[in-house]
Amino acid sequence: MLPSPGLIFQSVLDGVFLGFLYSLIALGLSLVFGVMGIINFAHGDFIMLGSYLVWILANGLRSDPSFMSLATVPLFFVIGAAIYMTIIRPVLGKEPLIQIAVTVGIGYVLQNFALMMFRAEPRAVQTTYLNLYLNLGVVSIHLAKLISAFLSLLIVLGVHYLLTKTWVGLAIRATAYDREVASLMGINVGKIFLLVFSLGIGLTGLAASLWMTFGQADPYIGSSFGLLTWVIIALGGLGGVSGLIASSLIVGIIQSLTMTLVSPTVSLAIPYVVFIMVLWFRPQGLFGKV
Amino acid sequence: MNPRNVITVILPALTVALIGTTIPFLVGFNQYYVLLALQSVIMASIALAWNIIGGYAGQLDLASFAYVGLGGILATMLMTEYNVTPWLGMFLGAGVSAALAFTIGFPLFRFGIKGVWYALSTAALVVILHEASIMFLGPFDYYIPFVEGWYYLRFRTWENLYYFSLVVLAFVISLNLYISRSKIGYYLKAIREDEVAAEAVGIDVRKYKLLALVTYASILGFIGYLYIVSQRTFSYNTFSGPQSVYVAIVGIVGGLGSVSGVFSAALILKIVEEYLRGFLGGVLPGLHLLLFGSLLIIVGILRPGGLSSLTDALTKKIRVRIQRWYS
Repeated sequence: MLPSPGLIFQSVLDGVFLGFLYSLIALGLSLVFGVMGIINFAHGDFIMLGSYLVWILANGLRSDPSFMSLATVPLFFVIGAAIYMTIIRPVLGKEPLIQIAVTVGIGYVLQNFALMMFRAEPRAVQTTYLNLYLNLGVVSIHLAKLISAFLSLLIVLGVHYLLTKTWVGLAIRATAYDREVASLMGINVGKIFLLVFSLGIGLTGLAASLWMTFGQADPYIGSSFGLLTWVIIALGGLGGVSGLIASSLIVGIIQSLTMTLVSPTVSLAIPYVVFIMVLWFRPQGLFGKV
Repeated sequence: MNPRNVITVILPALTVALIGTTIPFLVGFNQYYVLLALQSVIMASIALAWNIIGGYAGQLDLASFAYVGLGGILATMLMTEYNVTPWLGMFLGAGVSAALAFTIGFPLFRFGIKGVWYALSTAALVVILHEASIMFLGPFDYYIPFVEGWYYLRFRTWENLYYFSLVVLAFVISLNLYISRSKIGYYLKAIREDEVAAEAVGIDVRKYKLLALVTYASILGFIGYLYIVSQRTFSYNTFSGPQSVYVAIVGIVGGLGSVSGVFSAALILKIVEEYLRGFLGGVLPGLHLLLFGSLLIIVGILRPGGLSSLTDALTKKIRVRIQRWYS
């Protein structure tokens, strides 16, 4: 039985919305990887931690999850700075295996901390103002997804502007390009690293509050987010924002179509199969420079 | 290999196995402790198999339970569905896991994928198998129907299976020791330290990485049946991402490429896990894993050499003390 075109269109649309949120998540990770060369396997777990925080706050204050970003972003910025100082700085420039091991350790700690505190049941926020559907005949648009996609795009473009049009952005790009020359030019590389890592973690706080407007928190979403964002970076290469958004949309659409056409249980497997294929045949990513 | 090397390879493995055989007698055949010993021996064997690809070859493989699950579920289902003896099923499981590792590893190494991308593709492999097996097995736990005897490698009590897994452990230990003393081991260590330099001195990097991967995967495929029997059940959750990470934690905390370090880390972590689970598991599930994660961070920052580098430093200190004492 062939699904109706309306259903396919609907699931592509949902995939696009999801894709924009993924691009926000992947942005932080690709900044940390591109500028500092740090391989962060715990990125998704910060989103998991953030979504539990949003769950607690939003249910406690009986308010919309998206407002909780006002609390989570600054808090995660500080947490990011603290983790950079204590754990990331000692392993800067060490071999990949050690970096991966340390960040896998962070992820493991966060995941099991959540398991310990909140048990394994999925949790969703009850009060959200955005849980409305706009019916447009063929498709219906979930307002929460639309707004989170829009905000994600806005923030991604904002960070892009920061990177390309400001002095700080110039310093960050210079550091990414050549750490030693940048420090000879009077850029405080240590401060840039601190800023980039805190920004990367801070963005996960924002992504978590957007996710909670329609998603659920459980201890294991972190590992799936983490792997998916790495898949996005592998597909996009470290070329820039346009490649990042394009590959996020591809992953989002593939995932959403798999969910509709095949089965929700394999919604992660298909993007990973695509990922392994891309790694084999185009290691620099679909949009990366050679 | 000359006879002296044979002794250095076989003797430690035999000693461990012989000490191991006394444990059921020491605990008075208490089934809880024998099962605990069995699970520790299986985990130690898995971690030592990981040591070949992760420790010697330096490739952070996060797919161990893809191979354990595939080999184990194959052998178990052959037994329950077609009454095929696990003696055959385990070797078939090893073969299938090795074939999977070859299919994944050949293109990966052919296209020079290493570091973070290798780790990611192996992590993705576990998820792919996990989700694909929900399609095939359904979201159920399978219990193995009760059958008994050496034909099925299943018994009323755990001792016989424990002795069998000791044999497997002894084999894995001696294989590790053999590799570390042979040409292959030196090649793999050279690849771990600097792949470009290793290639420059004429080592076929691709071939030896693939050899390490396939060896590791076939051992895990063989152990799979033992693992499933010791857990009493299997499901799609046997393809477990967190468990695969746990294996890598044991390998790194023990010390990359150190047989005694990985072996003792596996035992110590298992005992700590069981202790914490017994006392706090009802209140705080996941506490032991949280501690292991922190341990991994601490080892990564302070002692990338792991447990073995710590004991090396200690023995050196003691030796110096003793020498001073005599002089």
